[in-house]
Amino acid sequence: MTDTTQKDTAIAAGSGITLGRALPWIIVSLFLLVLPWIFGSNSAITIMNQMMITVVFALSYNMLLGQGGMLSFGHAVYMGVGGFMVMHIMNLIEDYSLPVPMPLLPVFGGLFGLGLATIVGSFSTRRAGTVFAMISLGIGELIAACSIIIVAFFGGEEGIKGDRTYGLPVFGVEFLQQKEVYFVIAGWTVLATLLMYLFSRTPVGRMANAVRDNPERAEFLGYSARWVRFYSFCAAGFFAGVAGGLFAINYEILTEQNLNTVQSGVILLIAFLGGVGFFFGPIIGAVVFTLLQSVLSLQSEIWQLYVGALFVATVMFFPGGLAGVLMMHVPAWRLGKLGSLVVPYIKTVIPAMIGILGLAALMELVFHARHAAAGEDEITLFWTTFDGFSVLPWALASIACVGGIWIARATAPGLRAAWHRANTPDRRPAA
Amino acid sequence: MSTPALELAGLRKSFGRTEIIRGVDLKIAKGERHAVIGPNGAGKSTLFNLITGRFPPTSGTVRLHGHDLTGLAPFEINRMGLSRSFQITNIFPKMTVFENVRCSLLWSHGYRYSFWNMVSRSRDLTEGADRILEQINLTARRDLPAGVLSYAEQRALEIGITIAGGADVIMLDEPTAGMSHSETDYIVDLIRTVTQDKTLVMVEHDMGVVFGLADTISVLVYGEIIASGTPEAVRGDPKVQEAYLGAALEAEH
Repeated sequence: MTDTTQKDTAIAAGSGITLGRALPWIIVSLFLLVLPWIFGSNSAITIMNQMMITVVFALSYNMLLGQGGMLSFGHAVYMGVGGFMVMHIMNLIEDYSLPVPMPLLPVFGGLFGLGLATIVGSFSTRRAGTVFAMISLGIGELIAACSIIIVAFFGGEEGIKGDRTYGLPVFGVEFLQQKEVYFVIAGWTVLATLLMYLFSRTPVGRMANAVRDNPERAEFLGYSARWVRFYSFCAAGFFAGVAGGLFAINYEILTEQNLNTVQSGVILLIAFLGGVGFFFGPIIGAVVFTLLQSVLSLQSEIWQLYVGALFVATVMFFPGGLAGVLMMHVPAWRLGKLGSLVVPYIKTVIPAMIGILGLAALMELVFHARHAAAGEDEITLFWTTFDGFSVLPWALASIACVGGIWIARATAPGLRAAWHRANTPDRRPAA
Repeated sequence: MSTPALELAGLRKSFGRTEIIRGVDLKIAKGERHAVIGPNGAGKSTLFNLITGRFPPTSGTVRLHGHDLTGLAPFEINRMGLSRSFQITNIFPKMTVFENVRCSLLWSHGYRYSFWNMVSRSRDLTEGADRILEQINLTARRDLPAGVLSYAEQRALEIGITIAGGADVIMLDEPTAGMSHSETDYIVDLIRTVTQDKTLVMVEHDMGVVFGLADTISVLVYGEIIASGTPEAVRGDPKVQEAYLGAALEAEH
């Protein structure tokens, strides 16, 4: 039974914050501080802001999916509603000249997300699995429909706009520039990430894992699976709301698109791409996806096809996501044999990349041939412009595709053998 | 006489029109090691599920230390000091062995749904979990995901999880099912040490285990207890012999 006397003394003796544990957070913070000086252009700052907002959103989503085993199809609702709330507060600040500093606003987004999650969670977290997923989908559709019906709050189809510069200046900064907003978002991203990480280390965070793995067993350990889910759900709603607040500050506009089911699907894709099994997985997913979205979409009209293919490939071949692929290398690294994998990787991965790029080039050529306006024969691919109807590019792309994949297939057994060797400890000579 | 640890009165359970448990009355005293035996399909696991709140009984009551358990959820019953294992291994497969045990300590250490304590900062939890790992002989497996353990190790882990919360009534559902002889011996020793001074209720098929561990035995046949008493008394009971012989004859046809 409860052993209170023993507990009190032991907690007092608990280990404190060590440098080793704080170091990754300090490094990331410093990195985010210098980043605007490395990539200073406005478009780069815009991409980085978008990236960080997505990181917070994806991590909050993973509190449900990865940590709590709840597959939600409506998580964008909490981000969107938090964002709308912040936008309204921003407009109130403007209308009544309220002395509220702008960087504080995401708190209100979070609280509103928390409030909505408390209401929805009170009935949706009774069951996990299909029931939870269906309720989340239903609520997602419901709120998305409301956004067109309740015009006063959601602004109808045009959404609502605001101006972030009317807040109380912080040390003379009025947040006119993207760069100034960058630091607000970076600060919130680090804080929210840290809080979400710490949440996963608390009793209720640990039990979220237990309930995900085996809700029935958790019940026989004294925990109601439903309440454990509920607390995770509320926390996830809070951080989604924070992400929404950051979005409102960054873009100064919110529309129905920010909370509809498409957006909810995208965040599921991002979390899965990064890897739901690891805390940092969704961070990788958010960074990679935002890069693909912003860079690839400039290069190709069919970029969503590539993202879709990447997603399918991840689910099929790397269910642990990108984080899982990274963590796969830890055993080899511990054995000090990671170096032995470099050459086999080059032999297989580079031809495979060439093959995939060749395939992509073929798809671009087909797309161009089918959809280009009459007389527009020029196509720009891989930073070169050429006639899309001549034989040479088709032949080159086909050769790259077939040849690259053929070489990759030929060298794959070598890579597999090297992988096996790198993960087997050396036999020590008899002492 | 003090209140029994567990008291069943007129317990019945029907699924549809089929009555599985047909009026069970049973008293299990504090500190007793009680085994429930019976042929396949006698309702042993159903009886377990009724006691632990997994299913609601159709009628009758279950009392734990004199408190009525009617209408309570499994987690509430667990908090009152009753813990169980399952016939099919029921652990947290993706979590480490250590994490499995630590989670089972949380509630009894008073953490409830806390989100302001860091579990790794409580030396009490860490030491408590390590102590249990030592007891169940899994210290060497501490940081492995529980899902990769061998079957016997998973069963041992489940017993560890079951006792970790400090419940004083321990219910084990076929703890040695599907085990080899040496594994069975290991689990029986384990059960004997970890349930010292506790009330043990178990369902078991292996008669060697039953007669080695139990102080009292109840025989459940078609949802009714046909005999209850010391191992010797039960062994000599003609009704028991008939029931087991009958079941054996049926199996041959």
